Amino acid sequence: MAIFASDGRPLPQPTPTTQPFFDAAKKRKLRLQRCPRDGFFYYPRSRCPKCLGDDWTWQDTNGLGEIYSYTVDRIAHDPAFRAFAPFAVALVELDCGPRMTARIADCEVSDLRVGLPVEAHYEDVDDITLVSFRPRTA
Amino acid sequence: MSKNIRDKVAIVGVGACKFGENWDMSREDMIVEAAYEAYADAGIEDPQKQIEAVFCGAVYPNGGTGEVAEALKLFDRPISKLSNYCETGTDTFRYGVMCVAAGMYDTVLVVGFDKPKDRGVSGPSVSFDRVRGLPATPAGWFSLCAARYFQTFDAGREDLAKIAVKNHHNGTLAPKSMLKREITVDDVLNARIISWPFGLYDCAAQSDGAAAAVITRADLGRSFRDDPINVKAITIAVGANPQSDPNFDFLSWKPTQVAAKDAYRQAGITEPFRELDVCQVHDCFTLTEMLTYEDLGLCKKGEAKDFVASGVFELSGELPVNTDGGLKTFGHPTGATGVRMIYENTLQLRGQAGERQVKNAKLALSHNIGGAPQACGIAIIGHP
Repeated sequence: MAIFASDGRPLPQPTPTTQPFFDAAKKRKLRLQRCPRDGFFYYPRSRCPKCLGDDWTWQDTNGLGEIYSYTVDRIAHDPAFRAFAPFAVALVELDCGPRMTARIADCEVSDLRVGLPVEAHYEDVDDITLVSFRPRTA
Repeated sequence: MSKNIRDKVAIVGVGACKFGENWDMSREDMIVEAAYEAYADAGIEDPQKQIEAVFCGAVYPNGGTGEVAEALKLFDRPISKLSNYCETGTDTFRYGVMCVAAGMYDTVLVVGFDKPKDRGVSGPSVSFDRVRGLPATPAGWFSLCAARYFQTFDAGREDLAKIAVKNHHNGTLAPKSMLKREITVDDVLNARIISWPFGLYDCAAQSDGAAAAVITRADLGRSFRDDPINVKAITIAVGANPQSDPNFDFLSWKPTQVAAKDAYRQAGITEPFRELDVCQVHDCFTLTEMLTYEDLGLCKKGEAKDFVASGVFELSGELPVNTDGGLKTFGHPTGATGVRMIYENTLQLRGQAGERQVKNAKLALSHNIGGAPQACGIAIIGHP
C-alpha cells in the first residue's frame, strides 16, 4: 500500500533498515551505510552488496557528487508529478563512492550535463524528507 | 555452465497473428490464429494426438494455462505458463526445447501472447522504488544509460535515429507488423520527447499479439517437413537490477554479454559477426539495439555507431538485424516477442521471408532482454 503526500505524490515508507537515512535527511545530512571492507553503499539494505557482511555502520557523507548520467521526464505518467515536469532523474556519483538515482532540483533542463557537480538537497514533504540533488552553490 | 543442446531439437512449424491494437480479438482468438498457422506450417492435422504438451509465455494475465487449453481445446496434457520480464518468449521457447531434448515429449507447442492494449496504459505500471520516491517507466530506466554512453563514445540522438529509420523500413515489408510507415532521421529527431534522449520513434510499439512454434525431436524433423530448422543454442542469464548493482556502469547489458558467451559456445560460434547471417535483437528502445550490437560481440564497445552508419545492419547489409521491423514496428506484445523472433528467423532460414528475405541465411540469432534490465535470453537456430 502506497502512502500519498498531501500533494498526491506517493511517499516512501521507511523500514527499520531505511529509517536512519530518513532521520538524517530531516536534519539535512546525507547518511549512508558504510562497510568496513568495501566502503559506502547505497541504497539502504541489510548487507553489504559486495561482501554480504552485516557489520556496516551509518556514517554521514559530505553529500557531494557529480552527474554520472541522466534523463528528463517530460510527461510524468503519474499525475502527481506533472507539476514538476519536465524534471531530471540522474545517476549521481557521490564523492564517497556509490551512485544514487535521484531527482535534480533547481536546474534548468538545458543546464544538465554528465559531470555536473551537485550537492544533496532536501525537501520536507508532510512528515518525511526526500533527498534530491541540485547544482552546487559554492 | 550449460550443457550442449545443439541439433537435438527441430522447429517444424511457426505462426503468428497480426500484431497491433487488436480490439476485435480476444487473447484466445490470437492464440488460436498463431497456433493453427503453426500447425498448418508443420503439417499437423490432428493436434489432439500430435501435440503432447504446451508451453505458453505471457506477462500480463494472472492465469494463462486454462485459457490456452480452452482456446486450443487441448485438454488432459501438460500446459505450463512462464513469465520472465520481456524475455518471456525466448524463455518459453527454451523450456519447450529442453523438454523435447530431455526426451519427455516428442512434439510440443510453444505459444507466446499478450494483450497489453486492453489495460489502458502504454507500458508496465509505473513503479516506485524504495527510498527514492521516483516514478520509473521502462523509457526512464533505459534512457538513463544514454547520456553516459553518448559522452563516453561521442554518440548522439542522430546515431540512434538511424536504427529507428531502419526498423521502420523493415516493418513496411512484414505483412503482420503493426506499423507500416517509412520515417526519416528528421522525423525521429523532431518527434516529441518521451524520456530524453528518447523521442516517440526511439520507443518500441507496444502491441497485442501472439506467436507460436511447433518443435520436435531433431530426428523426427523431416517427418513433418523437408526443411526443418535446428536449435543450435538456447540460454538465458539473469543479473541484478542495474540500480542496485554497484558495479553496473550503464554502458552495456551484462546479462546479454553473459548469455551471448554461453550461446556462442553451445553453437560453436567464434566470430559472431562473420558467422551469423541474420539477427533479431531486443529493440525496446533504439539505444537498446545500439548497446546490444556491442554486447553480442558483433562489434567492439563504442563501435556501434560507425557500424550503424555503414549500413551493415540494414536488409542489404552484411548482417541484417530486425528484418521484420523488430519490437519497434512489428510490435511488442511482451510474452509473444521472443517467439515472434523465432517465427521470423525460421522464415528467413527457409527462404520464405518475401521482400525482406536475407540471401543464403543459414544461421540466425534472436535476443531478448527484460526487466530494468536484469534478464537476457538468446536463441540461435540454423540449418541442420
